[in-house]
Amino acid sequence: MTHQRLSGRRVGVALVVVFLMAGLLVSRLVDVQVVRAAELKEQSADIRTTSEIIWANRGSIVDSFGNDLATDVDRYDVSADPRKVGDFRRDGAVITESAAMAEIALITESNPDELLYAVSKDREAHFTYLVKGVSPEQRLALRELRNPWLQMDLVRERTYPFGAVTANLTGMLGTDEPLAGAERKYNSCLQAINGVATYQRGADGVRLPGTTQLVKDPVHGGNVTLTIDSDLQWYVLQTLAEHGSNLGAQYGSAMVVRVEDGHILAAVDWPTFDPNDFSEAPTEFMGARSFSSPYEPGSIMKAVGIAMLIDGGYTYSEDKITAPGFYEVYPGRFIKNFIVADDRQLTTAGVLHTSSNTGISVLADRMPKAEATEYFRDFGFGEPTAVGFLGESAGQVLPVEQVDVVTRYNQFFGQGISVTAAQMAASYQTLANDGIRVPLRLVDGCTTNEGEFVPEPVGEPVRVVSASAAQQTVRIMETIVAQGPLRNTLEIPGYRVAAKTGTAEIATSSGYGDDRVISLAGMAPAEDPEYVVLVSFYKPQSSRVSTAAAPAFHEILSHVLKHYRVAPSTQPAVLPPLTW
Amino acid sequence: MTALAYSTGRPVAASRPRATSSTRQKTRADAVPKLRYIVVLLAGIFAILGGQLLLSIAVSGGAYEIASLKSDVRGSEQQLQIVGEEISALVAPDTLATLAGSMGMVPDNNPAYLRVSDGAVVGEAIPADGMSGTHVYAVTAGTETIVSPAIVEDVFLTIAQSQALEADAADVLAAPQEEAAFATEATPVMTTVATTEAPAPRFGGSIPSPVTR
Repeated sequence: MTHQRLSGRRVGVALVVVFLMAGLLVSRLVDVQVVRAAELKEQSADIRTTSEIIWANRGSIVDSFGNDLATDVDRYDVSADPRKVGDFRRDGAVITESAAMAEIALITESNPDELLYAVSKDREAHFTYLVKGVSPEQRLALRELRNPWLQMDLVRERTYPFGAVTANLTGMLGTDEPLAGAERKYNSCLQAINGVATYQRGADGVRLPGTTQLVKDPVHGGNVTLTIDSDLQWYVLQTLAEHGSNLGAQYGSAMVVRVEDGHILAAVDWPTFDPNDFSEAPTEFMGARSFSSPYEPGSIMKAVGIAMLIDGGYTYSEDKITAPGFYEVYPGRFIKNFIVADDRQLTTAGVLHTSSNTGISVLADRMPKAEATEYFRDFGFGEPTAVGFLGESAGQVLPVEQVDVVTRYNQFFGQGISVTAAQMAASYQTLANDGIRVPLRLVDGCTTNEGEFVPEPVGEPVRVVSASAAQQTVRIMETIVAQGPLRNTLEIPGYRVAAKTGTAEIATSSGYGDDRVISLAGMAPAEDPEYVVLVSFYKPQSSRVSTAAAPAFHEILSHVLKHYRVAPSTQPAVLPPLTW
Repeated sequence: MTALAYSTGRPVAASRPRATSSTRQKTRADAVPKLRYIVVLLAGIFAILGGQLLLSIAVSGGAYEIASLKSDVRGSEQQLQIVGEEISALVAPDTLATLAGSMGMVPDNNPAYLRVSDGAVVGEAIPADGMSGTHVYAVTAGTETIVSPAIVEDVFLTIAQSQALEADAADVLAAPQEEAAFATEATPVMTTVATTEAPAPRFGGSIPSPVTR
């Protein structure tokens, strides 16, 4: 019986213990599962959950052949946690910290001392960059090192594969935002919005299936297509660099425009900058002067003036006039020619051919100044071109009431009016296109990331002068190439070329100084012009006459004719007489 | 689900006729279906558990496979980008011009054209002077030095080496031919074409051949 009682007591104690423990477990269970459930769940999810950026590509800027001018590429930022940096073992061998840094430096072409400094300056820090912007190739090489403390994170970088060639047009991307050019103006088309995803992963780093959640969709940017032909753009830039540096010019601009549709095939500003690395570039050369810097064009404006006068019915190519040695505007105020000479008996063609200031003043006197102002505006001067380049200048055409008695004549030879290279090229496009101005075009459109092409609005062509006036003017410009003093430089064998030179004085606070802008504008083939070329150099030092711009113009125009396989001219030119 | 339904359904249906036959045999006869019932039930449960286990193994195995395939895709994408960047560097006008120059090519802006219909030469062909346009000019105002990508350097090196080899071979082989080359130096473009290209007709030879001047 005692034995039985004893065992009964044992059972009782055991039961009490079991119940106590069970109670403990139940209370713990209730605590974990019910009381703190939400809080704990959240904490555990936090530990397992990782969020990642889903990189979206900023759109590319491409030329008319689809070559990338600006595009996004993968790069990697290499970093480390200084607390973990130290020696490590690889294949049984110990790699010391400094040896590891030397390896990294060799692959990334950086300085091992700087890498060591980055980790040793604060050993308690949790994070430090070692090298930024490492290429995928370098990343693969770095991974081969099997360095346990090396971290590499994907980032996006903007590159400009052709470097400086189209830098003036594409602009560049700063750290936070696009800074200039098409990058900035067409940001709404190009910009990408990175996405965010969260997922949970196990202790071994493998993503747990079914846990990925797209928090935000990545939105890729669209592509902007320019009308530029980057091969031609490169050639023109090289030509400007060669002749510009020979002339000691401060800067130069050139433009090639296709006559039929006003597409700008090359818009070059020299010197320029490399958008891949512009930290050292002088800011004054980081824009596009051909759109942003107006200047007084000088005599290349005379071709426009003659077209206006012929269209207005005030003269014609063979019209006989007497160009005086001096043209007296009012007593004591004279307009004189570049080379002072006696009175000459010139035709209107001869006035443009010899670039006679006094001759064109005689003709300009026939046109009321309000009408002249109207014509200048019709040619597109005084307002930005249809391109609407970021920061484009409108130039200046004086309101009629401000056109004084001298400016009235000066305007016809490119003084008292300021224009951009783009506007000047547009006016020659008008002359080349039988008097119809087709709005200039630099950006063809935006291809959205869904593949839809949104063209830039096409402006309406405007008739500025009659076809006859335009053609007569082109014929006269042909005489400059065929018979003028520059014929040996300007002639292109097999082609008929029309061109006009200009040497403009640069206005300073105390009148016109010694510095010049020399330019040449023209077109070919003259019987039915297909391409317009404009070249100008600012403040050339070794030669200050427009003839100095002729070799560059000639090289560019003949290259254009070859590049686009323009058929040589077959009809001989019938040119107007220059004197009587 | 289907396994469970099946296992409970069958014994119930099977025991119905026996329940009506005899009450005395009921206890013994009941034990057999009960045992069967338990076995089937347990088998079903284990089948479900086993199936679930296999399924989760498959799913997590799939996760590893997805992870490895994804990293393969990323690797390929990277390779594509590396090659793409190399191509961009090689087709850049600067590179092409330098390469062409290193191969002895000179720009000539005065070409002539062959008119296919009658074989006439249109335009005036003038040999290049070989002076202009062979140099690539720096175009930036800054002081930055632009390092050409490694691939471009490699190509330049390869060309330089092959040219050195060719030069060596030419020295050994053709001393008399050199004189002939000098004699026709006045038309350098023509000589290059003549010596490097076989006179065999190209493009099937159907284009009327012009008289060479």
